[in-house]
Amino acid sequence: MKRFKSIALAAVAVVMVAVSAMPAAPVDAASSAALSIVPKKNYVIEPGKSVNDTLTIRNLDNNEPLELSMRVVDFTFHDDGGTPKLMLAEDAPQTTWSLKPFLKVPKSVTIAPNASKTLDMSVAIPKGHGAGSYYSAIVYSSGGSEEGNVGLSASGVTLVFTQIPGKVKEDLKLERLGAYYLAVPGGREAKYVKFATEKPEAIAYTLKNNGNVTEAPVGSITLKHMLGQEKVINDINPNSSLALIGQTRTFTSCIKLESEEVDFQGRASQTSACTTPSLWPGRYSIELNAFYGQNGNRTQEIVATSSFWYLPWWFIAVVIILIVILTFVVWRTVNAVRGRLYGSKIKKSSRRRR
Amino acid sequence: MKSSYYRLHAITGVWHYIGREALVALCFLLLLIASPVSAADMRFQERSLYMSSTIPGEAASYTISFRYMSPEPVGSVDMLFCTDPIPYHPCIPPPGLDVSNASLVEQDGETGFTVGSQSDHHIVLSRSPQAITATAPSSYKFTNIVNPSDTNQAFAIRLRSHASLDGTGSQIDFGSIRGQVTESIIIQTQVPPMLIFCVAEEVDDSCAGTNQNFYRDMGSLSDQTTLTAQSQMAVGTNASGGFAITASGAPMSAGTNVIDSPDTPEPSRPGTNQFAINLVENDQPAVGANPSGAWTNAVVSPDYAQPNRYKYTSGDVVAYSPNVSLMRKFTVSYILNSHRDLKPGVYSTTVNYIASGRF
Repeated sequence: MKRFKSIALAAVAVVMVAVSAMPAAPVDAASSAALSIVPKKNYVIEPGKSVNDTLTIRNLDNNEPLELSMRVVDFTFHDDGGTPKLMLAEDAPQTTWSLKPFLKVPKSVTIAPNASKTLDMSVAIPKGHGAGSYYSAIVYSSGGSEEGNVGLSASGVTLVFTQIPGKVKEDLKLERLGAYYLAVPGGREAKYVKFATEKPEAIAYTLKNNGNVTEAPVGSITLKHMLGQEKVINDINPNSSLALIGQTRTFTSCIKLESEEVDFQGRASQTSACTTPSLWPGRYSIELNAFYGQNGNRTQEIVATSSFWYLPWWFIAVVIILIVILTFVVWRTVNAVRGRLYGSKIKKSSRRRR
Repeated sequence: MKSSYYRLHAITGVWHYIGREALVALCFLLLLIASPVSAADMRFQERSLYMSSTIPGEAASYTISFRYMSPEPVGSVDMLFCTDPIPYHPCIPPPGLDVSNASLVEQDGETGFTVGSQSDHHIVLSRSPQAITATAPSSYKFTNIVNPSDTNQAFAIRLRSHASLDGTGSQIDFGSIRGQVTESIIIQTQVPPMLIFCVAEEVDDSCAGTNQNFYRDMGSLSDQTTLTAQSQMAVGTNASGGFAITASGAPMSAGTNVIDSPDTPEPSRPGTNQFAINLVENDQPAVGANPSGAWTNAVVSPDYAQPNRYKYTSGDVVAYSPNVSLMRKFTVSYILNSHRDLKPGVYSTTVNYIASGRF
């Protein structure tokens, strides 16, 4: 019996050693990291009501299933642009505009290769909740690898915005208005310009949001050349960009906008981009007429003017050449007139002296 | 000489006085021309619109409120619905909007109005001309207005008050009110925006496939050479706001020992502790590739777009597009250098690439 026990224990020990010595299977290697999601959701929900909606996620990988874990995080802004700054830390403090307490999403999902899944989600606003804008982000994470020196993980994010109607505090302050150079990859940075030697593609305005709601201004910009040429930008916020709570946001409006229809994953989509406008050299005045205001609140207006000079190098060169030519002509004319007026007297006086 | 000067002064003396008087008269004339035609031409204040429903294409009631500023008698209020709020611009009616069947059901403040005339985007309220007495905002509630259908564009109601009964003649007060319909979760009138994203050591341009490798052994650390690796990601969106990719993850570490990452772009420095990335082609060391794909508006962030200069700060945006950008592929280059005094161990990190839309 003793012998049998020792043989059995030895066998168990061998099996355990053998199992622990086996290489760990690369768990994540068999999962997809290619997904398609909805980037943004917008809701208007009255206090005491809820919205039930769906999230459609597609696994783009033809061979492997997509395993995603999902969680809700808060976000704010990075700079004066529209890039969200996600608060990913587990212990990140909840923001005052957080939608986390009201937003429900599943914790995980597995999607078969080249298939899509529709998940239920809901936003429920408690009774008596104050009006304003509330926003958070749903993060979908594929499993990261624990192997190697550098592991890779892919995540997608859906930004969720909810307006709770009612009386809100709306306060946008204009900080800057002017001609604007858009960023050139690997070259020039985006910036306001007062004296432009190249044609500015856009007019920009910077607004500081001191209210308790996100704002998307609308309106128009009128561009007037010193000699009367006039251009009107009818839509100053074509992408319905938002100034988040507390953000100083720069909105850009193309002076000349070109749109085209493109095919995206088999569906028609509209794309637009700034192109080089036709501008005459000289001084331009800019007049901004912007409006904002939530449903049921006062419509507020921002009226402002600014100006810029467009002086291309060729124009500066032409002006300099013209000035030189003009100076030369004046100098020659003055000399010629002097010669005619005083030249004969000088000759006469010199004759008298003789 | 003196006498001729006096003679000239005597002849032109009259003109001196006439000139001065003419100058004063001219100034008065200019002041008259420059002053506003009517002192009463003011903006309505406290303008607002409440829509009972903001769902595109749905019938709703609209409550339009504003405060009259001029005391002059008002016989009509003109309400013109346009995409643009500026009163002197041509009016383009908001697509889908229909106010032709609107009924005025409530009025408060300045009252006595009836609908004088209306079309699909125009209402004229009319009453017998009366001086303005209300000091608080006046409001007018209309039912049976069909909301505009375009959620991407706000609309405006251009308001004008007139002494006439039919909205003609010179205006007394004016101003615009903004309104907007919001996305409906029931009616999907447009192609929904999508964000497509994939990450692996190698990915297809369209994200249809990857090489299924999500880690990389960079080899053994040495103070003489730089270890390198690369990964790829493809991204595209039809969302008008574009996308942003954020890199997130702790610096490379083994237990409590950490290899620091530069927070400004710098060259690879063998013999120092350095883990960093960029998203362009490099030759010192030779690693990486420039972004590929037709959509050149999707770009690498400036700090990660400098050849032979590397950095890594968790939470940085490494690539973005300001507007619609269909598929574009980025290659991430990783460099790893170590000091000879670096404590032995298996150094590793996981970099999480997060693709999001923009707001």
